[in-house]
Amino acid sequence: MGLRVPTDTARRWITDPVESGSAAGFGVYLHVPFCHHRCGYCDFATEAVGGTSSAERRELFGRYVAAVRADLARQVAAGRRAHAPPGDDLDDAWPAVTSVFVGGGTPTLLPPDLIAELLRGVTEELDVAGDVELTVECNPETASDDLMSALADVGVTRLSMGAQSFADHVLAVLERRHTPGAATEAVALARAAGISSVSLDVIYGTPGESDADWEATLAATTAAGVDHVSAYALTVHANTPFGRQVADGALPAPDDDVQRTRFDTARRHLAAAGFEQYEVANWSRGPARRSRHNTLYWRHGDYLGCGVGAHGHLAGRRWWSTRSTPRYLEAVESGRHLGPGPSPAVTGDEVLDDGARAVERLMLGLRLAEGLHPNDTPPVSPLGLEDALGAGLVETACGRFRCTTQGWFLLDDAVSRLLV
Amino acid sequence: MTYPIERIRNFCIVAHVDHGKSTLADRMLQRTELIDARTMRAQYLDKMDIERERGITIKAQTARLPYKPLGDAADEYLLNLIDTPGHVDFSYEVSRALNACEGAVLLVDAAQGMQAQTMANLYLALEADLEIIPVLNKIDLPAARPDDVAREVASVIGGDADDVLRISAKTGDGVDAVLDAIVDRVPHPAGDPLGPARGLIFDSVYDAYRGTLVYLRVVDGELKPGSKIRLLATGFEGEIDDLAVYSPEETPIDALGVGEVGMFSAAIKEVSQAKVGDTVTLAGKGARDVEPLPGYREPLPMVFSGLYPVDSDDFPSLRDALDKLRLNDSSFTFEPETSAALGFGFRCGFLGLLHLEIISERLDREFDIPLVSTAPSVRYRVTLEHTTDPETGEPAVVEVANPQQLPAPNEIASIAEPTVDAMVLTPSEYVGPVMQLCEGRRGEMVAMDYLTEGRVELRYRLPLAGIITDFFDQLKSMTRGYASLDYHRGEYVDADLVRVDVLLNGEPVDAFSSIVHRDEAYAFGKQMTEKLKDLIPRQLFDVPVQAAIGSKIIARETIKAKRKDVLAKCYGGDVSRKRKLLEKQKEGKKKMKSVGSVEVPPEAFVSALRTAPARRDG
Repeated sequence: MGLRVPTDTARRWITDPVESGSAAGFGVYLHVPFCHHRCGYCDFATEAVGGTSSAERRELFGRYVAAVRADLARQVAAGRRAHAPPGDDLDDAWPAVTSVFVGGGTPTLLPPDLIAELLRGVTEELDVAGDVELTVECNPETASDDLMSALADVGVTRLSMGAQSFADHVLAVLERRHTPGAATEAVALARAAGISSVSLDVIYGTPGESDADWEATLAATTAAGVDHVSAYALTVHANTPFGRQVADGALPAPDDDVQRTRFDTARRHLAAAGFEQYEVANWSRGPARRSRHNTLYWRHGDYLGCGVGAHGHLAGRRWWSTRSTPRYLEAVESGRHLGPGPSPAVTGDEVLDDGARAVERLMLGLRLAEGLHPNDTPPVSPLGLEDALGAGLVETACGRFRCTTQGWFLLDDAVSRLLV
Repeated sequence: MTYPIERIRNFCIVAHVDHGKSTLADRMLQRTELIDARTMRAQYLDKMDIERERGITIKAQTARLPYKPLGDAADEYLLNLIDTPGHVDFSYEVSRALNACEGAVLLVDAAQGMQAQTMANLYLALEADLEIIPVLNKIDLPAARPDDVAREVASVIGGDADDVLRISAKTGDGVDAVLDAIVDRVPHPAGDPLGPARGLIFDSVYDAYRGTLVYLRVVDGELKPGSKIRLLATGFEGEIDDLAVYSPEETPIDALGVGEVGMFSAAIKEVSQAKVGDTVTLAGKGARDVEPLPGYREPLPMVFSGLYPVDSDDFPSLRDALDKLRLNDSSFTFEPETSAALGFGFRCGFLGLLHLEIISERLDREFDIPLVSTAPSVRYRVTLEHTTDPETGEPAVVEVANPQQLPAPNEIASIAEPTVDAMVLTPSEYVGPVMQLCEGRRGEMVAMDYLTEGRVELRYRLPLAGIITDFFDQLKSMTRGYASLDYHRGEYVDADLVRVDVLLNGEPVDAFSSIVHRDEAYAFGKQMTEKLKDLIPRQLFDVPVQAAIGSKIIARETIKAKRKDVLAKCYGGDVSRKRKLLEKQKEGKKKMKSVGSVEVPPEAFVSALRTAPARRDG
């Protein structure tokens, strides 16, 4: 690096972060796109397999898991520098993996042996930290004794359960197949199998949901005995069936004020139940139970992504795979590249310039209650800072730069002002 | 080749928008083999992008069509087609173009019948003493009712319904008969070939390389390249560089004689030096004795709007852009003004609403300067209470085109507003709603005539202010698109008018002020505050929106504070999309105008006054 000059000081937030960027850890995301049915609100890369026979499924799943493993092996073998922005002279060796997240889709549609096979891909290709967090997403209707024991056996430390709601009619609007009770039972099964950390995902502001429905959902969530809760406002994406229904007027658009009221209810309820809100949409019983993998995203950290539609990010370069399962399989199996970078299934990438990195660092880092370490905060214009401070959206407190309670939920506004 | 005057026919086509004028012109060009099918593009004569996109003609164009009625080379005629602008904003330009012709093809859609614009242009053609050749178009459409429409046309122009030609410009069916009728019935031009040269300018267009291109009809004498010319109204003198005709591409010509139609350039720097209606003659001693052709008029703007750059740094670029546009359009005026809310800008005058929209669109398209335009207004005449005109000793009268300049109420003796003489043609079942609409805009009925059993012509005297925002949209929507409108400048009439101000967060925003009739002030204030409540995005705090007359609040709404914008999840796959969304929001924010502590989107300034989506007819 040579002698430090003032311009380098200004770039310290990129080159020498204290806890953000490459200092935040190193994760691996594995995507399993399969679902019984594609829900109306979902905009993840998914592949409905409800209409296939079990033999067909077994074969497809096996082929897919092998492809993800091959994809990961290829990405790892290419070395770290091949994933970084061109010309970046960082160390080519991979650091130890601090978190693995198997998301979907419905990963637990895979039989336990294939889940184990998938995770072995990580342990065989990369060094894994002793205290690695290993999360698997699970839908309540797929939960069973056998599944939970198998997951515990292969070292899964954390289960993230998609409950979404505990009101029948809300689940029906969301097109979820499980009953409200199934989520509670699934949590109990996971606990019994010895999985140490269990999280429930819930959604509020669904059309047809009442204040009482939401309060009942919160009560059932905390009563289920979880130590982590993710609560999201329903977001309608234009490219989903929900999006089209809202555009046609067949479904009312979620109302901002209603969502904010539900959110306030959630904050009150979860705080009373002993949960700490550590991110805009996430609560945990104490710092140890936070999602380490998701925190990596918010800290702008490095992660590999394998599987359909998976995104990876390393030191300011991001890439993503095709969202089509057949194309993914074809690309990985044939080795014919769909786009740039070491993985054949990658269809696009972007190298973030300093401006784009600054936007991301702020919009991600300020999602966390503790905000950003001052060394990790990108330079913001004095006018923008004065504006955001004056509007009461951000503050510097305990030596950190973070949102105020008010600014937390008006984060877009806060970040737009800072970026002026 | 030159044609004897007996073999020249100058004609135009009078038609409503969408009635197929450009298609007929295209077909005539093809029929006379000036262009082959390969180089044919739809609407050949509409040259500006805006014209082709909107399907309207703004600038007049000409085409020279050699035509042999019997296919015999010895029997060739020269038909000059002068394509006129079709919109009421440009009726003066239309009248000049009509004066360059001896005949007009009245083209009427066989399904839709006569429309107000067609009627208005037809009256202009009759005033200019043109031979009218009535033609029904689109007779191949299933909805065509040629017999009814032929009767309607005959009842308006006189004559026999059987004499109305029936064609399909789309298929080309009947086009020959139209060309033959032009040869047979339109008189050849008359003029003095040996007299002092006189030419009527019916359009002018700016060209970056050659200066203004002047379109003219030679009335007497002859013009040649190198001729020293003088324009009588503006006094411009110069020498003809290029002399050309359009067939339909520009073709140089050695001389333009009596009755002929063509174009010349003479290093004329601005179009305002070669105004529509002016007379071209040869420079020299004799020029002073040449009688100008009748009918010249200075263009007068009727509708005014303030144009302000969103970013005040763009003010000089906006001035440059307006200067450039004015090079090309002398009927548009501007002068600097300031607004407490919007900063430095210009008060611009337009011939009408379409003209305003065209200029705004060209500013946006050709110069890319983010702009705020204020609600369109008219020019009021205010008679003052305590001031007298030093020359006449009468109470002084000031003209006010910007509501902010309205004197204090105790200074005002009376206010007069401009009116228009409007004509609406509508199917008879909509007469009730149309009358309601006109009366709702303080219109006074002048006449009502049944053209046929099913079609009514309504004439109203309306305040111009009543029709410049959404009158036309309302008219169209309540008659399911069947009614049509035309209007002409009328007199100034006294009215009980007040200024309604709008306050955002307690601060008056001058750009939102409007002058309205006292009886309408409450409804207007309510509508404004309700609209602004929806148009202005929620801010971090509650923003009261109030309407007031003087210090008296007449309406109030509140824009509730924004309570959340981010409560969704954001994981690895969401980052890129989310960042791009934020960057886009940031761009949008740049376009917002900060008014006090409130951020207002530029479209709010105009949209607040509309009750229907913006849409104008051509």
